[in-house]
Amino acid sequence: MHTVFSRVNNISALLSSCVMGLLAAIAVSSMALQLFEAPLEGGSVVVNNVKVTHGKGRQYKYEHARVDFEIDADLSPLFNWNTKQLFLYLDAEYTNAKGVKNAVVIWDRIVRRKADAKIHVAGNRVQKYQFKDKHTFRDAEAVYTLRYNLMPHVGALVYGVAAATNASVPFPALNAANAKV
Amino acid sequence: MFTEELKAFRRLGFRHVLLQTLNFASVIASGLMIWKGLGLITNSESPIVVVLSGSMEPAFYRGDLLFLTNPAHERYHNGDITVYKIPGADIPIVHRVLETHDVKSKGSLSAQNQRLLTKGDNNEVNDIELYRGLEHLERKHIVGKVRGFLPYIGYVTIAMNDFPQLKYALLGGLGLLALIQRE
Repeated sequence: MHTVFSRVNNISALLSSCVMGLLAAIAVSSMALQLFEAPLEGGSVVVNNVKVTHGKGRQYKYEHARVDFEIDADLSPLFNWNTKQLFLYLDAEYTNAKGVKNAVVIWDRIVRRKADAKIHVAGNRVQKYQFKDKHTFRDAEAVYTLRYNLMPHVGALVYGVAAATNASVPFPALNAANAKV
Repeated sequence: MFTEELKAFRRLGFRHVLLQTLNFASVIASGLMIWKGLGLITNSESPIVVVLSGSMEPAFYRGDLLFLTNPAHERYHNGDITVYKIPGADIPIVHRVLETHDVKSKGSLSAQNQRLLTKGDNNEVNDIELYRGLEHLERKHIVGKVRGFLPYIGYVTIAMNDFPQLKYALLGGLGLLALIQRE
């Protein structure tokens, strides 16, 4: 009955169920907190300028868009005891002339500390990823949205919107906007 | 040491050994049923995966456990973390979606026409080089979308892969215990 084996067995069973219970409590409590949390406010995404140029890929010709944008957001309310990191990304959504609905991430950042959660990014050199269309950007207009993915220490992943452009931003004609002579 | 065990084994008799074997088989069968049942509910061929590489650090480290779903009618969005498997590659990859392109189509399964581009958070470039000549990831390559996360637990399987002796020792030990245990 009271062999070493059965004692070890009992203790490890108790320990693992306690740990599992604790982890479940952490995951559920942080999710419940998210329900009562007021939506994020005060964030803004402004697109100052877009420039479209020709580009050449390995097999196709592309059109490249260069976006000059400005992001302001304070994401510190999202940090609680179960926040491991925030993945922030600027999502450009548009439908091109062929009817293809596209969504392209042109900028992202990982925020790991509450002290870094006040975001200010601006300029025409901060775009991180290529923004290209295999057909054309002509006559299309895009909505730029700053989204976040809250990644917990344990539990479910949470997605949300931090800010967006007020209206959709039309793409200029090829080489038109801000063309330097 | 083992002579006593063997004696105990003999004392228990043939029927007992059969019973224990049956118990053992039922444990394995119910494990398999739970796994396949989860796969049916989540529409994913492997609803729980272990992270094997560091390409999603600092979000996921080696050995973290991920829970996936893959609803057939749901579109994928940018920022979703997917697990995908390219035909010919043997291990599934856990990376984040950075581009989605929805081709216009009729029918209720239009979500199946999505083309995706992914990138690991910890990688400098996107995954086109990993697609083995494909230009985009298609829906059929995707195993699931990461919904939940449990750290470190999966390290056991990584340890067993790295040190196969551990696996055999563990399996052998468990089997022996199941046969010998009296209660």
